[in-house]
Amino acid sequence: MKRDWPDIWGGLALALVGLAAAGWAWVHYDPGTLRRMGPGAFPLGLGLALAGLGAAIAVPALRRAGAPVKPEPWAAACVLAAILVFGLGLRPLGLVLATASAVLISTLPAPRPGAVWRLVLAALVTALTVVLFHVGLQMTLPLWPRL
Amino acid sequence: MSTWDGLLTGFAFALQPGVLIYCLLGVTLGTFIGVLPGIGAMAAISLLLPITYYISAEAALIMLAGVYYGAQYGGAVSSILLRLPGTPQSAVTALDGYPLARQGRAGVALFTSMISSFAGSVIGIVVLVLLAGWLSRAAVAFGAADYAAMMVLGLVAASTIGSAHPAKGFAMIVFGMLLGCIGTDVNSGVQRFVMGRTEMLDGINLVALAMGLFGVAEVIGNVRDPDRQAVAGRIGLRAMAPERDDLKRMPLPVLRGSALGSFFGALPGTGSTLSSFLAYAVERRVARRPERFGQGAIEGVAGPEAANNSASITAFVPTLTLGIPGDPIMALMLGALVIHGVQPGPMMLETRPEMFWGLVASFGIGNLLLLILNLPLIGIWVSLLRIPFRWLYPAILIFVCLGVWSVRGLTFDIVMVAGIGLAGYLLALARFNPALLLLGFVLGPLIETNLRRALLISRGDPMVFLERPISAFFVVATAGLLVYSAIQAWRRRETPEPGGASADGP
Repeated sequence: MKRDWPDIWGGLALALVGLAAAGWAWVHYDPGTLRRMGPGAFPLGLGLALAGLGAAIAVPALRRAGAPVKPEPWAAACVLAAILVFGLGLRPLGLVLATASAVLISTLPAPRPGAVWRLVLAALVTALTVVLFHVGLQMTLPLWPRL
Repeated sequence: MSTWDGLLTGFAFALQPGVLIYCLLGVTLGTFIGVLPGIGAMAAISLLLPITYYISAEAALIMLAGVYYGAQYGGAVSSILLRLPGTPQSAVTALDGYPLARQGRAGVALFTSMISSFAGSVIGIVVLVLLAGWLSRAAVAFGAADYAAMMVLGLVAASTIGSAHPAKGFAMIVFGMLLGCIGTDVNSGVQRFVMGRTEMLDGINLVALAMGLFGVAEVIGNVRDPDRQAVAGRIGLRAMAPERDDLKRMPLPVLRGSALGSFFGALPGTGSTLSSFLAYAVERRVARRPERFGQGAIEGVAGPEAANNSASITAFVPTLTLGIPGDPIMALMLGALVIHGVQPGPMMLETRPEMFWGLVASFGIGNLLLLILNLPLIGIWVSLLRIPFRWLYPAILIFVCLGVWSVRGLTFDIVMVAGIGLAGYLLALARFNPALLLLGFVLGPLIETNLRRALLISRGDPMVFLERPISAFFVVATAGLLVYSAIQAWRRRETPEPGGASADGP
C-alpha cells in the first residue's frame, strides 16, 4: 500500500497546530461579537481553518502514492547546531571564536572531505565578518572571550 | 503632481550619490544571487533587511527592489548555462536557453535574455506609471470592507492560480496568518500567544521569519549538493552578437511577453513566475513551427524573460498604491517600509513623492546599470557559476545570525531563526511553499484590522461585503476562483497526469 507520507505528516502537523491555537484562543481570549470582534475571534477562526485544511491534505494522501522525499538530517543538524553555537556563544566566546567554530560545524556535512579547505574557509569568513561587522558597521560585540 | 514633474523629482532623487550607490549595490547583489542556484531573491532580500535600518526608507526600497529585478537578470544566466534556474521565475528560460547553449550559442541566448529583460522592464515602468496614478485616484474610494475583501482575493489567488495543490497553499497562508496573530493585538491591547516571553510582545520578527524560512532552510536543502561541473568555456562580448535572423525573431515575443507580464504582475496574487510560464505557452501557440520549441527557439527565451521582468516592476503597483503586497517578495518590501514607519497607500504619491517617483526613476537607472553590468561583464558572472556552494553557505549563515542579532541585540532572535529554519526545511521537504506563509504573515494583521473595522462600521452586519460594489466585486471574484480551482482539482482526479509543469513559487 503506497501512501503520500509527506502530505500525511505535513497535514497532520498543521491540523494539530491549528487545533492547539484554536483551543488556546478559545480558553484565553475573548471572541467578542460579530459587531465588536474580540482578540480571540480571528485566531479561533484561523486555527479551525488550519485544522480543516490539514485534515483535507492528510486524508486523501492516505490513498495515493507520493513522490519520495530525501531528508538530510545530518545537514540539518549541523546547520542548526552552527547557528545555535554562534548565537549562544557570541557573548561568552566573542565574535572571532564564535564565527570560526560555527563555520567549522556548518561545513561538516559538505560533500568534500579534507580539513584544509575547512580551516582556510573558517579563517576567511572570520576575517570577513570582523572587517564587515566590527570595523565597518561598528557593532558593539566583544571580539575575544573575557577572561 | 504631473507625470513629468514626478519623473524629474524622481531622477533628481535617485541620481544623488547616496541613493545611487544603494541602487548599484542592490542590482549587483541581485545578479550575484540570481546567478547562484540554491539561494533566491527572497533569501537575498531577507539578508539585506537589517541593513535597511541604517538607511532612509526611500534608499532601502530602491536597494531591495534592485535585488529583486537584478535577480531576474542573473537567474537567466544559470538557467541558460546549467539548466538550473537561479530563480523560479527563470525556470522556463531553461527550456530553450539550455538547448541553445548546448548548440554553442550560449552567448546569443544570454544576449537575448538581457535585451528582452531590459525591454520588458522599460514597458513595465511605463505601465507602472500609468496604472499607479489611476489606481491611487480610484483607491481613495476604498473602505475597510473593500481592503479586506481585496486582500482575501489576493491570498486566494496566490494559493490557487497555477498551483498543483491549492489546499497546501491555503494551509500555508492560514498558518502564516496565525503566526501573524502572535504578539500584542493592536485593536484591544491583549497579548496573544506570547507565553510570557517579553521578546514576543511585538510578535515574530519579520527579519527572523524571512531569514529562517529562506536563508536557513535553503542552505540546509543545498548543503549536500556536489560541486558543479565547469561550465562550457568562456563567453565574451563577441560570442553574444546575435545574427540578423535572431534579431528579427525578438520584437514580437518581447512585446507579447511584456504585455502579459505587466498585466499579471499588477494583479495581486499572480506574480512573475506565472507570467513567464504563460508567456512561454503563448509563444508556442502562436509560432508557425511550434516543434522548434525545446530545441533552442529564441522566442522561448525572449518572451518569458520580458514577461518576468515587466511583472517584477508592475508588482509594485498594488504594493505602493493600496499598501497590499501581491506576492511574497512584495510582502517583504512592505515589511521593510513598515519597519521605517511608512504605510504605503493611495496618498503616498502625494505625501512621499520621492519614494514613488524615486523608485520609478531607480527602475530605469537600475536596468541600465544591469545592462552595463551584464553585457561586458558576462564573463565574470559565468565564472561565478564555478564557485561551489560549500564555499558560500557558511558565510551566509553567519550573516543571517548577525543580521537578525543586529535588529534588537537579542540572542533569543538567533535561537528563533534556528527554530524557524528547521520548520521551514521540514515544510519544504513536504513540498509546502513557505513563501505563501510569509505572504499570510504580512497580510494577516492587515486583514484582521480591516475586517474588524468594517464590521464595526456596519454594526455587525456581514452583508456589508456584498453591499459595497467594490468589495462585492472582490468577493465574487474570490468565490469564482475557489469554484474554478475546485473544478480543476476534481478534473485532475478524473484524469491523473504525471508530472505536469506547475508554477509554484513566489
